[in-house]
Amino acid sequence: MAGLNGVGPDPGAGALSASARAQYAAMAALRWHMFVNGLRSKRGAFELGARTVSFVLYAFMGLALGTMMGAGAFALASDEKWQFLPAVFWVVCILWQVGPVMLASFQEQFDLGILLRFPVRFRSYYLLYVVFGLADVSTIIGALCCLGIWVGVTMARPELFAWTALALAAFAAFNILLVRAVFAWIDRWLSQRKTREIVGALFMIFLLSLQLLNPALHQKRRPQPRTPQERIENLRRMETEFAPWIKTAYAVQQGLPPGLAARALRQAGNRQPVGALASLGVLGLWALAAGSVLARRLKAEYRGENLGSAPRRETSRAKTSSVRASLVRREGGWRLGGSSPIAALMEKEARSLMRTLPLLWVIGAPLLMVLVMASIYRSNASGHPFLYALPFYVAFALMGFTQMFSNNLGAEGAGIQLLFLSPTPIRTVFLAKNLFHFLLFWLDALLVGILTTLRLGWPQGVTVAATAAWVLFALPCCLAVGNIFSLRMPFRIHPGRMTRQRGSQANALSSMLLLLVVMAVGAVVFGLCRLLASPWMAVPVFLALAGAAVFAWLRGLGNIDRLANQRRDSLLATLMKTE
Amino acid sequence: MEIAAIQTHGLTRRFGALTAVEDVTMSVAQGQFFGFLGPNGAGKSTTIKMLTGLLEPTAGTIEILGQPFGAGALELKRQIGVVPEGMALLGRLTAPEYLHFVGRMYGLDRETTNQRTEELLEFMQLANESRKLVTDFSHGMQRKLAMAAAVIHGPKVLFLDEPFEGVDAIAAGMLKTMLQGMLNRGATIFLTTHVLEIVERLCSHVAIISKGRLVANGSLADLHAGVVSTLPDAAREQRLTLEEIFLSIVGAGGLEPAQELSWLA
Repeated sequence: MAGLNGVGPDPGAGALSASARAQYAAMAALRWHMFVNGLRSKRGAFELGARTVSFVLYAFMGLALGTMMGAGAFALASDEKWQFLPAVFWVVCILWQVGPVMLASFQEQFDLGILLRFPVRFRSYYLLYVVFGLADVSTIIGALCCLGIWVGVTMARPELFAWTALALAAFAAFNILLVRAVFAWIDRWLSQRKTREIVGALFMIFLLSLQLLNPALHQKRRPQPRTPQERIENLRRMETEFAPWIKTAYAVQQGLPPGLAARALRQAGNRQPVGALASLGVLGLWALAAGSVLARRLKAEYRGENLGSAPRRETSRAKTSSVRASLVRREGGWRLGGSSPIAALMEKEARSLMRTLPLLWVIGAPLLMVLVMASIYRSNASGHPFLYALPFYVAFALMGFTQMFSNNLGAEGAGIQLLFLSPTPIRTVFLAKNLFHFLLFWLDALLVGILTTLRLGWPQGVTVAATAAWVLFALPCCLAVGNIFSLRMPFRIHPGRMTRQRGSQANALSSMLLLLVVMAVGAVVFGLCRLLASPWMAVPVFLALAGAAVFAWLRGLGNIDRLANQRRDSLLATLMKTE
Repeated sequence: MEIAAIQTHGLTRRFGALTAVEDVTMSVAQGQFFGFLGPNGAGKSTTIKMLTGLLEPTAGTIEILGQPFGAGALELKRQIGVVPEGMALLGRLTAPEYLHFVGRMYGLDRETTNQRTEELLEFMQLANESRKLVTDFSHGMQRKLAMAAAVIHGPKVLFLDEPFEGVDAIAAGMLKTMLQGMLNRGATIFLTTHVLEIVERLCSHVAIISKGRLVANGSLADLHAGVVSTLPDAAREQRLTLEEIFLSIVGAGGLEPAQELSWLA
């Protein structure tokens, strides 16, 4: 490579060659410089503080989950109930795979695509891609869960020390590679029009199926067992009904990574080293397969594939000109009435949202969780109605909206310039966004209400009224503070990606704190009114609070133009930043 | 006396200790095609951002069409169109949706917006791409769309920051035709570009900014005369290109051959 002053990679060098190591050092130095330079501004220092707090919180979360997993593994290994061990591994696997989607927007992720302009070998690129993701929240939590399982099994059966370590290492490798592979492919599908539309359609079908699933489950609903005898009978009936399904599912899962990891431990525990080795081998093959799927995707990126849609073949001008006008008319699809900027902005928000899968996901995911939580509660309920199910689940759904409320300019990208260039005041822009989010949340809350009713039965009228009143208080609070966060702590959302987003820990932490305060106010009012045996009191109390919140929101809105103009330079710089 | 389309007095912008633009005073008459030139980092984009309300000046005043201009001058913003450095596009919309949105943000009624959207897409040869999201457009197509969005409300003053960057020759020709048409109907165009041939061909007046200060301002003939007057008598007869005028005013960078990167192939 002397012809190019020796800057190219050595042809025979591997991922750990001297030139590759020099590149890793350069990458590490780059990350360090980015970190140090980020501290130059007050915001950067604040971000560091927020990240430290978040890291401690995630570590506690991981330790708590790890302890739970460890306790579960200890109990199962001590009693030799190996057949239930897969459940522990499945929980860890789901946490590992779903975590990044729930937390993607709250983490700062480094886009390694910038490396492709340099003479980096594919193996180095692959290694960096995997290694750079090791510090993300789901890996930390997953690793702590694995540690918990390892400690639990080893305490119960010290002779399984090495087997457990091996099984968990293979299981962790599989999860790390699978989560990277899945999101690398999702990012790929989201980057092309056709695949993006297909993924979007599938996502909408998934959400709709969720709604249809409930009536189906509802049909099977029987009266809740009230006496211990009824409960035992209920369990026996369920056992008979579901036994064939459970057997099939158990058999299938034994061939899947969580089942294989558990099976390896069971076989090792039963002194069947050959069987355990075979299970570990198959688990290793799964990890290899996940790694290959990831490699295939990264290889295409490495070769410099064009992520944009291929240009359409030119058709003759004469042929197309006759259809152009009608095409233009047709393309608008639906339109919101009125020519006002508010209508235009709400229409734009709706269109953009429908095409931004990451945002759709953060709104839709809580619905899924509500369904799961309501179902779990229902199956564990001992005949006691969950009085506050509706407000609890509505509050949970509100969590999905925090990112939109607190970073409502994040998805604008370069379009933020237009908002400042146009004669529409920024106040109007925020008003339209707030109205859109307000309506969207009510729609989401309605869906939550339907899901809760279908799974847990009709809520009391007073609970519905009090929940609606709480929403009337909570939404203006979140919107008012969210508007300020959007201007003070904005971050750019890449609408075509599920991962590799540049989030803001400070924004995420502050908005979650606000949500907790709003929820705490709700809990205190609900609790006090129940203590005083006057549940209806919650309605006027929340309405009074809502009045104050709306006043604060309007006051805040009145100051938006001034604040936006003060923060204009930094907003434009942050939201148009390309890395 | 005719009101100037753009008038600045002592326009200054500082970023901490750095003065990006210092004491720029200039006037652009209505109906002028005005070229604003300068080397990289000279303050061109900073100036255009201040002129369009994207950046607050540290000192100085701006008047557009005789009225003081700032971020809050909303009525005045209806009179200007801008193709900014980042193009201000919304990637998740299609081209017709984007133009509809822009039209309504500028206060056009629905019927006018529909009609102009159709005409602009046809003119820019983007009608075939009306299903594609803007994010999937090529760079050149995005430039054309940004230009369409800048003119949909029929502005009297148009600011263009590097509008021809990444645009092919056919599209560039089309854009020039459109700009010429606007000029003939009395619009004022303020253009920054690094392509000096375009300025030479289109602009009647030119200003040059270097290290944040305005170092030349006038018609092409004035600039030519100014540079020629500094030359020895024997060289005064020659016809200078705008590139030569530009280099003569801002300097070529002063690199001696020995300082060049001798290790480059």
